[in-house]
Amino acid sequence: MDAEVAVVGAGPAGLSASIEAARLGAKIVLIDENGKPGGQLFKQIHKFFGSMEHLAGLRGYDIGNKLWQRAMELKINVMLNTTVFGIFGDKTLGLLTTMGSEILRAQRIILATGGSENTIAFPGWTLPGVMGAGAAQTLINVHRVLPGKRILMVGSGNVGLIVSYQLLQAGAEVVALVEAAPKIGGYRVHAAKIQRAGVPIMVSHTVKRAHGRDYVEAATIVRVDDDLKMIPGTEKTFDVDTICLAVGLTPLSELAWMSGCKFIFVPTLGGHVPIHNEDLETTVEGIYVAGDIAGIEEASIAMEEGRLAGIAAAESLGYAREEATKLKKEIKERVQQLRRGPFGEDRYLAKQRIMKVAPR
Amino acid sequence: MVNKADAVVIGGGVIGNSIAYYLAKYGVDTLLIERKDLAAGTSGACDGFIFLQSKKPGFDLRLALESTRLYENLADELSYDIEYRKCGGMILIETEEQLKAIIELVDGQRKTGLDVKLMRIPQELEPILSGHIIGATHSPLDAQVNPFKVVLGFAQGAKRKGAQILTHMEVQAIRTRTVRGELKVDSVITERGEIKTNTVINAAGVHAPVIAKMVGLDLPIIPRRGQVLVTEPLPDLVTSLLVDAEYITLKLAPDHRGTDGLGLGFTLEQTASGNLLIGSTREFVGYDRRTTYHGIKAITQNVLRIAPALKEVNIIRSFAGLRPYTPDGLPILGKLRGVEGFIVAAGHEGDGIALAPITGKLIAELVVKGKPSISLDEFGLERFK
Repeated sequence: MDAEVAVVGAGPAGLSASIEAARLGAKIVLIDENGKPGGQLFKQIHKFFGSMEHLAGLRGYDIGNKLWQRAMELKINVMLNTTVFGIFGDKTLGLLTTMGSEILRAQRIILATGGSENTIAFPGWTLPGVMGAGAAQTLINVHRVLPGKRILMVGSGNVGLIVSYQLLQAGAEVVALVEAAPKIGGYRVHAAKIQRAGVPIMVSHTVKRAHGRDYVEAATIVRVDDDLKMIPGTEKTFDVDTICLAVGLTPLSELAWMSGCKFIFVPTLGGHVPIHNEDLETTVEGIYVAGDIAGIEEASIAMEEGRLAGIAAAESLGYAREEATKLKKEIKERVQQLRRGPFGEDRYLAKQRIMKVAPR
Repeated sequence: MVNKADAVVIGGGVIGNSIAYYLAKYGVDTLLIERKDLAAGTSGACDGFIFLQSKKPGFDLRLALESTRLYENLADELSYDIEYRKCGGMILIETEEQLKAIIELVDGQRKTGLDVKLMRIPQELEPILSGHIIGATHSPLDAQVNPFKVVLGFAQGAKRKGAQILTHMEVQAIRTRTVRGELKVDSVITERGEIKTNTVINAAGVHAPVIAKMVGLDLPIIPRRGQVLVTEPLPDLVTSLLVDAEYITLKLAPDHRGTDGLGLGFTLEQTASGNLLIGSTREFVGYDRRTTYHGIKAITQNVLRIAPALKEVNIIRSFAGLRPYTPDGLPILGKLRGVEGFIVAAGHEGDGIALAPITGKLIAELVVKGKPSISLDEFGLERFK
């Protein structure tokens, strides 16, 4: 099989990339290992912030549906239940479908593989009942299964705050939310919602251990000092059956490593990130990244990056050269807007650092 | 940084670290230099076979037998769990033709002292094997280790005995001086300075020719790529190390490249953590360490022929390593004529892990006593001239 542009991952970034590139005329194959497109969008039942261009006010699944509908209108070739198990020399992708394995030869590749949840290790962390907060969110919002009745949430970034609220909505009790840093990480408005519902947010606290024989039955938390060292004697134990870890994400970058992309270590963006230029092209010509693989940010930025990569890939194939320059400029301006404010500023600077070492 | 050492070992793989360990054990002031990190090259991209049955009867097998003896006590000696397991190994026989050739090999190996026998129903020992396999050789002496842990165990042991190990440091040149008309090693130049020494040991594996060139010598070592697949961890499924007859042909006739240029030979082991490591190819593609679609596909098809029950098992990773190939499949060990103090220990191709302890011990003896307890004459560079 052949494609002008192979897009790996049909989340917000991959869908957006496919739509833009297809709109400009490129022949796309969009691949996702899941049975449904949309990535994490379909579990995001909260309304997005930002401006109208970023579909603010819409809920994640609405955005997912919109993007999917657009992709269908453009008759994009989508392969679901298909895993890209490797990228070999000359932009050859190894695909594992439900029928077997096959090869896809692409002229351009856009990697929109997203991120994976981080964990922290503590005694008892392998017990059933300890899970990523994102996994808990998938259980309640996609599969409509409550992961547990009494929850300890670890981490106060937006994921920890939002998932806590959604667990409450789904009928669980969030016994406490602990945050190792001395202040809450995510947006104030999300924190206020769960505080109003009576969930104590305990800063300068972390989970010390999980108790239980076959599954989580209790959790001990402990206060930490400014160097994040546990302070003995400050332990508290709660009866919980679930411990959710919302301790950040890491770019899911195996395919980029395998393609020979050069990387840079940027803690602000989740760790090792493939070096990419303004057009999101990596150090391997014709391979682009977009969304969380290009640095952990948020869905709005993932969509913008997807569009940008899609346009850049199409442009490099000779499509819509004049239009492309204008479109790319508009997107870059919007992305800059999204990276304003105390949270965005750090990510903006981190991205600048990456661009500086990237090939032109 | 140190500016002198009695011996400088170049290369932080299993061979270099073994040499550094045995040198330090003899009290030699040893410095090991590695361009990247320990086990960053071939030793970190291979399986953990200590497979005696694939060795040529004679010197090769004798060396391997000695190495196995050292491995038996190595974990205790190093106080480091290297996941050594005397698991036994099999060469799987699929045709009458292979059976004939293998009987001949087994005879030769027995004469050199290897405990090996022919099994008519290998499925009794390894139920996972396909019914079409008509026999197998079996040696209880074949064993496995975790290559990373062997490297790190040797490195820690070497450090405890006083050796210094410097990683992420590249050797830029080797200086020589002329003493009474003879060229002698004088110092090693690195990006962080000069190190005076009388003895340089080139254990740089596939990069050994680059190091040898620094003193004007040519080594006939070229990289040969081996691709390996890793499955998800599984419950205990396979006890023995498994190889097919084609693998043995490839080993014993180094120029044999297989029908498709992939040099495909079947190998399988289950590691301590339960993952299966399934190999492998032998390809001449320069220093390209990437895996290929065709390589991976060929290996999966091969394993399904041998063990069809593995069809539902997930492959979680693939990797490739470069084996330091020599034209006759044997390593180059010992002093090099023309430059006094320059020793080579490289070119083990797929036998680096198996032969590491004995290589380290013999090279250390060569440095300290001038003469190793087993002659290395057969392994000299001169054999290629």
